[in-house]
Amino acid sequence: MTWYLVRRVGQAIAVLFGVLVLTFILVHAETGSTARAVLGLKATPARIAIFDRVYGLDKPLYEQFVVYIAHLLHGNFGISYQYGQPVSTLMAERLPRDLILLGISTVLALLVGVPMGIYQALRHNLLVDDVLAGTWFTLYAMPDFMEALLLIALVCVQFHWLPPTFPGNISSVGGLFANWQAMILPIVVLATNTVSGFSQYSRSSAIQQLAADYIRVVRAKGVPERLVVSRHVLRNSLLPIVTILGLSLPGIVGGAIIAEAVFNFPGMGLLFWQAALEHDFPILLGTTLVIGVATVVGNLLADIAYGILDPRIRYASA
Amino acid sequence: MRKTHRLAVMAAGVSLSVVVAACGGGGAKIGTGATVHGKPLHGGTVVVAEVPGASPNLIFPLDPSTNSNGYNVNMTEGLWPFLVYIGDGASSGVNPQESLFSSLTWSHNDSVVTIVLKSWKWSDGVPITARDFTFMYNLLKANYNNWLSYIPGLFPTDVKQVLTPNEHTVVLDLTRSYNPTFYTDDVLSTIMLLPQHVWDRTSQNGPVGNYDETTKGAVAVYNFLQKAGADESTFATNPLWQVVDGPWKLSAFNSSGYYAWVPNKNYSGPDQPYLSKVEYTPFTDDTSEMDTLRSGTSLDLAQVPDNDLKQIPELEAEGYSVFQVPTNGVAEIQPNFWPAGPSTPEGPLIRQLYIRQAMEYLINRPQLVSKVFGGYADPGNGPVPVSYGKQWDTSLELSGGPYPYSPSKADALLKANGWKVVPNGISTCIKPGTAAGDCGAGITPGQPLEFQLLYASGTAAFDQQNAAIQSSEAAGGIHMTLKGEPFNTMVATTGTCNQQSHTLGACNYELEFFGYIPYSSDPSGAGNFNTDAIGNYGGYSSPEMDKLIDATEYGSSPSAFAAYENYAAEQLPWLWLPLPYYIWVYKKNLAGITPTDPFQESLNPESWYYVKSAS
Repeated sequence: MTWYLVRRVGQAIAVLFGVLVLTFILVHAETGSTARAVLGLKATPARIAIFDRVYGLDKPLYEQFVVYIAHLLHGNFGISYQYGQPVSTLMAERLPRDLILLGISTVLALLVGVPMGIYQALRHNLLVDDVLAGTWFTLYAMPDFMEALLLIALVCVQFHWLPPTFPGNISSVGGLFANWQAMILPIVVLATNTVSGFSQYSRSSAIQQLAADYIRVVRAKGVPERLVVSRHVLRNSLLPIVTILGLSLPGIVGGAIIAEAVFNFPGMGLLFWQAALEHDFPILLGTTLVIGVATVVGNLLADIAYGILDPRIRYASA
Repeated sequence: MRKTHRLAVMAAGVSLSVVVAACGGGGAKIGTGATVHGKPLHGGTVVVAEVPGASPNLIFPLDPSTNSNGYNVNMTEGLWPFLVYIGDGASSGVNPQESLFSSLTWSHNDSVVTIVLKSWKWSDGVPITARDFTFMYNLLKANYNNWLSYIPGLFPTDVKQVLTPNEHTVVLDLTRSYNPTFYTDDVLSTIMLLPQHVWDRTSQNGPVGNYDETTKGAVAVYNFLQKAGADESTFATNPLWQVVDGPWKLSAFNSSGYYAWVPNKNYSGPDQPYLSKVEYTPFTDDTSEMDTLRSGTSLDLAQVPDNDLKQIPELEAEGYSVFQVPTNGVAEIQPNFWPAGPSTPEGPLIRQLYIRQAMEYLINRPQLVSKVFGGYADPGNGPVPVSYGKQWDTSLELSGGPYPYSPSKADALLKANGWKVVPNGISTCIKPGTAAGDCGAGITPGQPLEFQLLYASGTAAFDQQNAAIQSSEAAGGIHMTLKGEPFNTMVATTGTCNQQSHTLGACNYELEFFGYIPYSSDPSGAGNFNTDAIGNYGGYSSPEMDKLIDATEYGSSPSAFAAYENYAAEQLPWLWLPLPYYIWVYKKNLAGITPTDPFQESLNPESWYYVKSAS
């Protein structure tokens, strides 16, 4: 296991370096003057020259890359062209918010989706299964912005039950919880979109498990159905969920652009999106790197979880 | 508070509030705000919605060149107001009560201006003196290339010397004569006094000195203040920024762009705020702002977002009043005149005045105003919006401009100049040459009359507007293809095409449309139409235009502005388009919001107050 982990970490570093090189080349391959894009229409040649000098854009690309890597190794992600703030500061403000919002919604989706999938599997081909499957597929197919706007129109505009957006004066994680009412709708929207996936994957997996020979043997031994489900079906049905969870980590870290925009919740997703529009290379590189790390870590955690859930998987021999 | 357009150089297409109503062109009638009756109440908080993306990121009021954020002034102007305060109720003139000077006297053939400062005090009780002016001047003189608002040739490089004959008098000896109105409106209204007794230092805890009096010291002070002014975590806590001469102090700020003002209890000016707090709250996009408005909870004042005018009746039902503010600028299509570009055959076409005239005749501006902008737009008759009023507009502009929509006149013009006009097809040149009645220099036999319009995409109203222009031009035989690009991509890939700054790759477009170009307080063509000006993107060059603009900038004739305006309207350095207004809503128990002057895009909270009853 240790050797496996070392090897995976080594692979992760190589992958991240590749991602970094590729992203660096791609963002710098964008046509036109970055300084002009940032400074605007009336940027004078003198002003553009100052901008290029301050941000090192007057150096050859390979030199810029070397400087960027050197800064990165010291924990310096650069200064945002658009905000004039360190990228690490901007990410440090937004990342915890996304981790809370998307983390809660993912856990909620998991808590609802997996039992729901098992329940549907146990009532496979009955009316209740069809109704629930239809409901989840409808929610899955519905764009989250549409769901968000419908809920806002109903809950906030029509009945004034909840605030439609986060207040702009929230500056801390504690502030999020102090305004917990504003978190309800985004969590519901994000969770309902995810719960559909969790429930349908667990349903399919559980149906396979319920038809497996070992379940017949367990039942033949007279084990109560409750224990059959909780000890055998549930555990073995979780493998695909583990994969989804592992893959959802970069999504959690990367933010949810639509939900962030609709609910006035500035997070990593909007940071990345606005940076792309504004040619803000330091933010693009920084967020890409963080999302890359999350992708690698998510995969690694999923692999480790496989081993825990299914002892037949032996990483040492992999 | 006025948003200074010289700072908002990137505003076009970004901050523009585009107003789209029903396709039928109807829409609610919007005035200049409801009259609120009732006794002013002292205290209360007003929450203002920031335009999405308009969050400030620097508190030091002299933005560096590397900072493109034109919105910092919205936060800082209430703390350190400009020397000359533009906007006096519904008038766009100088407001003598709010300005920091008690008199401005021009002499020596308008090359010397004597500024007598009012006997006001900083918030810490120290008197404001001429030294605070020279401090600001010294900082800028040593760092002008790193000042976002610097316009080559103007302040501070046009100052020969600054004299301070007494504690409250500043004499600016300028390198040339100026039109006093231009200099007052466009230069003195963009500089502020800075508290020398607190800010003249090179580190946070270092001693205050007279460092600014040497170039090296001024650079060090400027660098320190800019660095400290960029530390968002200390905007509201650093003692430096608590010494102000405006009606407000900053009490809170967070990195999302939220900030709050509380009254400066020692403000010397005439308008002691009624309110106890003004909060500016950021929004990620228009949808979240509109949802918050519709929920009727936390917002007291907001600009109605793009495409949402149809919801005004619902907003009124939620307890809001509505008013409109003209946009300070000009909407336009910019032809590329630069001789080295475009390299396509369309270059010679663009340089022919009669072709630009035909194109302008074929733009149905009244229809655009009514169908695309729901009636909430300036007609765009020329370089100066007619909503500015007779102070600025000539009778030519007020009567519809030189080229009102007229397909027949466009047709006649083209035929008279050697074109075979094919409505809804492609017209061709049948009389090449340079004689009278020929197509003109550089136009080849059989050359089609066609252009590509590059425009900033992503705004539904602009998409509709440009499609309508394409259609009406086609009806007159001018074929126009549309190419939409994100605003920032357009800015990055097209350049200002003049002798100093053009590159061929960036000057290869034919026609481009950004949204609108903001004006300074004085809506002259300076910086836009004079040869080699930085805002003269298409490289237009005309000795006559240069002369007329110089007369508005440096001359003293009262008719100079009108002469420039009419000439520009006729010569079409840009094709004129309608310019949508800003639409605002505010809670009905709030008063003092209106009237606003036509050059304002942000507001004066020191005059706002709550009333007990609303009409």
